[in-house]
Amino acid sequence: MRCGRARRWMAAAFDDELGPRRRRGLDRHLARCEACRDEMAVSGRLAEALARLPATAEVPAAVEQATLRRVRVLAAEDDERWSARALWLRVLLPALATAGVVVVAALGTLRMPAGRQAERRVAERAPAAVAGRSEKRVEVADADESTRRAGHGRPPGPPPALAAAPELFVDLPLLHNMEKLEHFEAIRTTTLDDDTPGEEPQSNG
Amino acid sequence: MDREPGPPAPESVVVAPVSVDPDVALMLRVQAGEQSAFQDLFQKYSPRILQYARRMLASDARAEELTQDVFVQVFRFRARYRPESRFSTWIFTIATNLCLNELRRPERQLRVDLWDDRQDDGRREGPSLADPAAVVPEEGASSRELARRLDAAIRRLPEKQRAALLLSRMDGLAYQDVAGALGCSEGAVKALVFRATQSLKAALREFL
Repeated sequence: MRCGRARRWMAAAFDDELGPRRRRGLDRHLARCEACRDEMAVSGRLAEALARLPATAEVPAAVEQATLRRVRVLAAEDDERWSARALWLRVLLPALATAGVVVVAALGTLRMPAGRQAERRVAERAPAAVAGRSEKRVEVADADESTRRAGHGRPPGPPPALAAAPELFVDLPLLHNMEKLEHFEAIRTTTLDDDTPGEEPQSNG
Repeated sequence: MDREPGPPAPESVVVAPVSVDPDVALMLRVQAGEQSAFQDLFQKYSPRILQYARRMLASDARAEELTQDVFVQVFRFRARYRPESRFSTWIFTIATNLCLNELRRPERQLRVDLWDDRQDDGRREGPSLADPAAVVPEEGASSRELARRLDAAIRRLPEKQRAALLLSRMDGLAYQDVAGALGCSEGAVKALVFRATQSLKAALREFL
């Protein structure tokens, strides 16, 4: 073993990081090399001298007081920050939410007439859309249209198409306000002679 | 570039459960807002941090300021501390970062140069470092002389060698923890310590 390697292994030996095989090799080298023996002894004395040096110093009271004062200031700043966040959560956020609701409500109110107009347009288009489904329906739609043109007033009598088939016509006041019904289409296209199984009386045998 | 004072790098994390390291429990109490726990940590660690800073900076006044800064950083970054790492590793990492930042400040270079010119006159900035005679009164004059020269030789080491030597030999940090504090590998730390001890042996051969 050369002296350079032996000196690197000495450092590892002082750290107890040298394996047993290398330790034996180092010991063999030290046994025959006086310079490395001296180096090992000097390393030992240096380690002792380092260990004897004080690792602590007396901290002046002023340093402790100044540190604790700075930390108290930091803690107070943290508290202030948290208070500001809490204020934001408790007061400002609900206030903003309320303002938002008010704005949305105001916008909704302003846009309401336009919505109603759209609904009316849809209702006007609906009879025309179903006009081609059956001839009977067309006749009913025409009758209804004439009724609507009359300004929702009660017509003097059934239209000619319905007068020809009186079994299809029941003159109820409700029918004059059909446009306002949600299921206007379903009701309007239902004839009295429709046989719906649910309406059949239950037979016992 | 300044090193960011803060928690050690993740690779330096050592498992240090509360049962093994009582300082972890203290630090967790600091995190919970207990100022008395912070005071306990200060009383326990400030003497070591102050001595480390004195040896790193060779200035008592600046070492005292830096000790304050270290504990203020501990408090400021308390939320970042994770109990998986030893508290001593964490605080010495902060101290090392602050010391290295301080040593690399341009105005510091000027101050040290002026101070170095006066060294031969036996004049020092501020009061003397630890008085070896007060610690080992039974030792003879040669031992006191060795301790004084050893302190002086440590201060003359390059900053990273000095930090590696002090952290591993004086403050008892494992090489892995020193590596985390210095931001280098464990092998690099061993090399730094080896070179530092070789320099010290060369400087103090006649006293060893």
